Amino acid sequence: MRELSVDVAIIGSGAGGGAVAKELAPLARAGRRVVVLEWGAKLAEHEYTGHEVDMAGKLYFENGGVFTKDRNMTMAFGRAYGGSTVVYTGTSLTVPDRVVARWGVPGLNWGDLQQRSAKYLVENNVHLQPEERLNDNNRLFRLGCERLGYRCEQFPINVKGCRASSLCNLGCPNAAKQGTHRVQLPMAEAAGVEVVTNCRVTRVSERACEAVVANPGYGEPSAWEPGEYRVTAKAVVVCGGAVNSPALLLRSGFGGALPALGRYLTLHPALILVAEHERPITNFVGHPKSFYCDEFLESHGFLLETCMYFPFVTAKNLIGFGAEHSQLMRAFPRLQMILVLAVDPALASNRVVVDAAGEPVVDYTLTDEVLDSLHASMKASARIFFAAGARRVHSPAGARFFLEEADADRIDELIPRRNVVPGKISVTSAHLMGGCRMGGGPADSVTDAWGRVHGVPWLYVADSSLFPRASEINPYVTVMALADRAAEHLRAHAGELLNR
Amino acid sequence: MTSLNEEQASFLLVVARRIVPEVAGLDERGCAQVLAIIDRALMDRGADVCRKFGVFLGVLRWAPVIRYGRTFSGLRPDRQDAVVRWFESAPLGLLRQGTWGLKSMAFMGYYGRVEAWEEIGYAPSFDSLERLGA
Repeated sequence: MRELSVDVAIIGSGAGGGAVAKELAPLARAGRRVVVLEWGAKLAEHEYTGHEVDMAGKLYFENGGVFTKDRNMTMAFGRAYGGSTVVYTGTSLTVPDRVVARWGVPGLNWGDLQQRSAKYLVENNVHLQPEERLNDNNRLFRLGCERLGYRCEQFPINVKGCRASSLCNLGCPNAAKQGTHRVQLPMAEAAGVEVVTNCRVTRVSERACEAVVANPGYGEPSAWEPGEYRVTAKAVVVCGGAVNSPALLLRSGFGGALPALGRYLTLHPALILVAEHERPITNFVGHPKSFYCDEFLESHGFLLETCMYFPFVTAKNLIGFGAEHSQLMRAFPRLQMILVLAVDPALASNRVVVDAAGEPVVDYTLTDEVLDSLHASMKASARIFFAAGARRVHSPAGARFFLEEADADRIDELIPRRNVVPGKISVTSAHLMGGCRMGGGPADSVTDAWGRVHGVPWLYVADSSLFPRASEINPYVTVMALADRAAEHLRAHAGELLNR
Repeated sequence: MTSLNEEQASFLLVVARRIVPEVAGLDERGCAQVLAIIDRALMDRGADVCRKFGVFLGVLRWAPVIRYGRTFSGLRPDRQDAVVRWFESAPLGLLRQGTWGLKSMAFMGYYGRVEAWEEIGYAPSFDSLERLGA
C-alpha cells in the first residue's frame, strides 16, 4: 500500500465535492495540498456518445438501476468526474423558505442558503430558456396545466451553448450543461487542486483515507498509478452522495457514536408517465425539462415535471408487455412524458446500511401515504395529458393498458388505488437525500449546520446526505449552497485543522 | 454469455419474445446483440444478481408445470403471456420483482440496440436546434 500525505481530502466530485474543491482553491493557491478523490472516470469528449446503454454503464452506478433492499424501487446516481452533475438535467431551483423551516436545523437559515445559491446560479449560467427553445413535449404540459387551472412554472437551467440534443441525462455531448465537471472542478484544478479519478475511497480512519485506484478501461487514466493507497489528510470532506457517504462512514466505524448515521433517507419516489398524441411532436429534441407543476405539493405531496427519456428507460417504466407495449413504443415520436416526484417523509427506518462485505444496502419502504401520492399523481397527470390533447394515456395503475380520450371523465374509476402495487409498477429515484442529516446533536443527527461531523472536528460531510428531510425541489443548487458552507467553515478553521 | 449458461440464455430468448414480440423477428446477430447487452448489465451487477436471475428464470420455466402440466417453453403463446401476467401481479413480492427485473432486461436488450431506435422513430442528434425550429 502506497502512503501519501495531503492537507485536505475531498471524497467525491459532484455538486458537493465540486463546490468544496473550488471553494478550497485559496488553500491550494497558498501551498496546501488539496485532493479530490473521485470513484468515477473522466470521459474524453468523444466518449459522450449519447447511446443510452453505453452511457448508463459509464456514468451511473449499476447502469442507473441500483435496487433498494426490498427491490420495489431503483435509484439512479452518477459516478464520474463531476458526479451526478454530469447526468442531471441542470434544473436549478433555490430551496424554498418553508423547506428550510421544516428542516429546523439550529444555525441554518434560509437567507444564508438563498445568498449562497444565488452565487452558484450566476456561476453556472442559470437562466430561463427563451420560448423558441421549448419543445412540444414541454409546451403541451404547460398547455394542459393552463387549461386545468394548475399552477405551472418554468425551470431555470444551467446550460451554455445548448444544441438541443435532449441527451442531458446521458452526459451532454455538447459540453453545454454547466455541471461541476465544466465549471467548479476546472476552476479548482487551475488553482492547484488535484483531482484523482478512478479512485474509490474504501475507508476513513483518524485523519486518513484508504483508497483503491483502478482504471475501468474508458475515460482518462487516473492521475495516480493503479493500486492501494493510504492517504493521510488533516481534514476530510465526504461528498459521496446519500448512499455512498453514509455507507463509507458506517463501514469506517462512525455509526457507534452516531445512531442517526444512514437513517432518515428520502428519495423523492418517482414515476415516469406517458401519453400518446395523434401527430408527431418535438420530444427528443430540445431541453427535456422546462416546466414543473407544484399545484399538489401541499395537498397531495407530489410535484409534476416535464421529462423525456430514452427508449430503454421508457420501455421499462411502462406497465405490461407484448403487443400493446410495442405499439406504444412505436409511437415514440408522438409521446408526451411527465415525471412525478413524491415528497416522502424522513423516517428513521428508511436508511442506508452496509452488508457483511461493507457494501451499501438501501433499506427503504414506500409508505402507504407515498403510494397514495403516487396514485393521485397518476390521475392528475392523466388529466393534464388529456387536457393537452393526448389521444390516449398509459397509466401504470390503469385498469387498461390505454385510457382513451373517451375515458377522460372516468379517470378516478379507471386508475384504481388497488393497482398501485410495489414491485409491479416502476418506481425510481434520482433525488437521494439524507443519511448524514444535519442537526443539533449526535442523538438524532450526524453533522452540525456546517456539515461538520459531531465530535469529529476534522471530518465534514458536504452533499445531499446532509438534508434532514426531502428538499421538495430538484436538490443540486441546495447541495452546492451547503457545500459552500462546509468549505467556508473549513477555511475559517484551517489554522487549527491544518497546522498540526 | 458469461452471466447465464446456454440453457438459461436460450430460455431467456423464449421469454423475451413474449415481452417484446419484435425479438421473434431478429436474426441470429440481432439475438446475439440482445443477449450481449443483457449479459453486460448482469455482469455489472455481480455474481449474486446473476445467480438470482438464473434461479428466477428456472422458476418461470418450471412453474407452469403445476398449472398446465408443461414447462413455459411448451405452452401456447397466449398461455405463456398469461403466466407472465400472473407473475407480474403475483401476491408474492419476490415474483413481481423478479418479473419486473426480467422484463427490464428484455427491454434493455432490445431497445438498447441502435437498430431498435430506428424502428420506433427515435433519432437523436447532437445538434437538434434546426429540428426544434429554433
